[in-house]
Amino acid sequence: MTALLDVDGLTTSFFTRRGEVKSVRGVSFRVAAGETLGIVGESGSGKSVTCMSILRLLKTGGKVVSGRALFEGRDLLALDEDEMSDLRGNAIGMIFQDPMTSLNPTLTVGEQVIETIIRHRPVSRAAARQRAIELFDMVRIPSPEARLRAYPHEFSGGMRQRVMIAIALACEPKLLIADEPTTALDVTIQRQILVLLKELQAKLGMAIILITHDLGIIVEFTDRMLVMYGGQVMEEGLVTAVFRQPAHPYTRGLIAAIPNIADDNGQRLRPIPGSPPDMHDPPPGCPFAPRCPEAMLQCRVPAPMIQAAIGQSSRCWRLHPDAPRPVEQDGRP
Amino acid sequence: MTSTTPPTSAPLVALRGLSKRFSLRGGLFARNTRELRAVDGVDLDIHRGETVGLVGESGCGKSTLARMVIRLLRPSSGQILFDGNDIADLGERQLAPYRRRMQMIFQDPYASLNPRMSVGDIIAEPLEIAAWGDSTTRQARVTQLLDRVGLSRDHAMRFPHEFSGGQRQRVGIARAIALEPELIICDEPISALDVSIQAQVVNMLEDLQQEQGLTYLFISHDLSMVRHIADRIGVMYLGRIVELAPSRKLYRSPAHPYTRLLLDSIPVTDPDRAHTDAAITGEIPSPLHIPSGCAFRTRCPRATALCAEREPALQDLGDGHLASCHHPLSPEAAR
Repeated sequence: MTALLDVDGLTTSFFTRRGEVKSVRGVSFRVAAGETLGIVGESGSGKSVTCMSILRLLKTGGKVVSGRALFEGRDLLALDEDEMSDLRGNAIGMIFQDPMTSLNPTLTVGEQVIETIIRHRPVSRAAARQRAIELFDMVRIPSPEARLRAYPHEFSGGMRQRVMIAIALACEPKLLIADEPTTALDVTIQRQILVLLKELQAKLGMAIILITHDLGIIVEFTDRMLVMYGGQVMEEGLVTAVFRQPAHPYTRGLIAAIPNIADDNGQRLRPIPGSPPDMHDPPPGCPFAPRCPEAMLQCRVPAPMIQAAIGQSSRCWRLHPDAPRPVEQDGRP
Repeated sequence: MTSTTPPTSAPLVALRGLSKRFSLRGGLFARNTRELRAVDGVDLDIHRGETVGLVGESGCGKSTLARMVIRLLRPSSGQILFDGNDIADLGERQLAPYRRRMQMIFQDPYASLNPRMSVGDIIAEPLEIAAWGDSTTRQARVTQLLDRVGLSRDHAMRFPHEFSGGQRQRVGIARAIALEPELIICDEPISALDVSIQAQVVNMLEDLQQEQGLTYLFISHDLSMVRHIADRIGVMYLGRIVELAPSRKLYRSPAHPYTRLLLDSIPVTDPDRAHTDAAITGEIPSPLHIPSGCAFRTRCPRATALCAEREPALQDLGDGHLASCHHPLSPEAAR
């Protein structure tokens, strides 16, 4: 299978006055055409930096230290800035958490959609305007023609995110990178936006990388998932497989820590003790080891990705065929 | 935490017809002043030792309501009976004795902690303002509080920026419980925290409630977490409570179509129960243009002509379950 996007050994650091922050440490994954890959992780896990590295939109001080990101066979990390800007907003679309900061507050939203189309397509202004109306209609912005003349502040958060989706999809991208696209929205609007993305994906056939901290969004809206922690991929697999049988103790901890809405007994929550690692000085070996109930001496050595089941692998020494069985903990394996 | 039926004793807080209106000036010469109804005629009892959750979309008035209860805002009308005394109209000096009995925990502990003060001073500040003990006993109290929220005494010398989000929220909690209040308003206390840390903070809030008999008003957009922590839950829409019920009942058999749609919006983490179809249509109307009759009718799948004409009253459906709807869902149809 040739992947649409093939990321291999991506390593990104931020060089600050306090020293090097190793945000992403050897991340590899593939995205097939038309699929939805979810990336879940907590703040500082490296999920956003991974995508910003691929998009070449790292903030000041951020630098890709090593790795490749092949998009249709071309290494995005080796392209020059002009070639990269031709791809962004064109073959690769993107939407972010806060549409207010991604939209220009001084231009009408119509102007911003038209600008994107003209930049990447050899069309007249009138044709671009017509296309903008179609796009607004497609993302279900009511009275699209009139709304093109409105400014970003005249829209609600949900409507602004629809504008962002219209811009991202203007050139029918093959890959859409969505970084926490609904985190700032109410649950009702969140569902509207995610359902809309799913529908548009079915219609246009693009692949989506959906970055979120919300496990529910992963379950409902993605096919395959990566679990990131401490700048590394801890687990990768089909969403159904990972949720039925999480292979990494961190994934298990994350799933156990959220309250179950169907749970009537008011059971006590089971948090993961401790706090995430300081990425100035991450622990040697597994970054989760200091908080892991199953950690052993070997965990001080970096673990490889080990296959746990079909289409599921995890960076945990416990999966090694010679590893000792973990001690049973309150009835859970 | 455990009982779902409120005790029969007098409530710690009783809200009666509580309203907050903001006037907005529009136009160059401010002639056409418009009125925004943020909270409109809310009645709610909060009993000692219970946790009442408030949920609803942004702009529904839940935070405004909470800020009135603790009197960070002065209500436009209505009563706030705290332990039987109406504090709705009291001035700052008259409020002083009540201030120490109620505290608030905010969403962003970073924004609510003074960056120039050490954590020890931040926690000691309410003690000083209340002239609690002398400096030695206050120091001892700070150490005791740090210990209670799982921080070490060495942390007292450090500053907020040296702490993680979870630790900062612990500082916020230590400060809030310093004067042993009776009521704590928790306004989105875990929203800014990572999933693995949220559970730590929620467990701590539950433990503190057990130990000190605290009463919580818990506001959150995380409906799963509210369901976990609250004994009773009020659902707000455009400034009103549209449904109020013991949490289990609310989630099992909601009567108001809005509650049902809100619950259906939550992404579920069980792959066998995942549903990507149901989406509530439309957005919450502007509080400047609240629809006639039932405010939810513009988004409601069950709305009829009656809903536009007449405003539904909050009706008692039995067992502490209240809902304001002309066409409530029957318990069987609700699920």
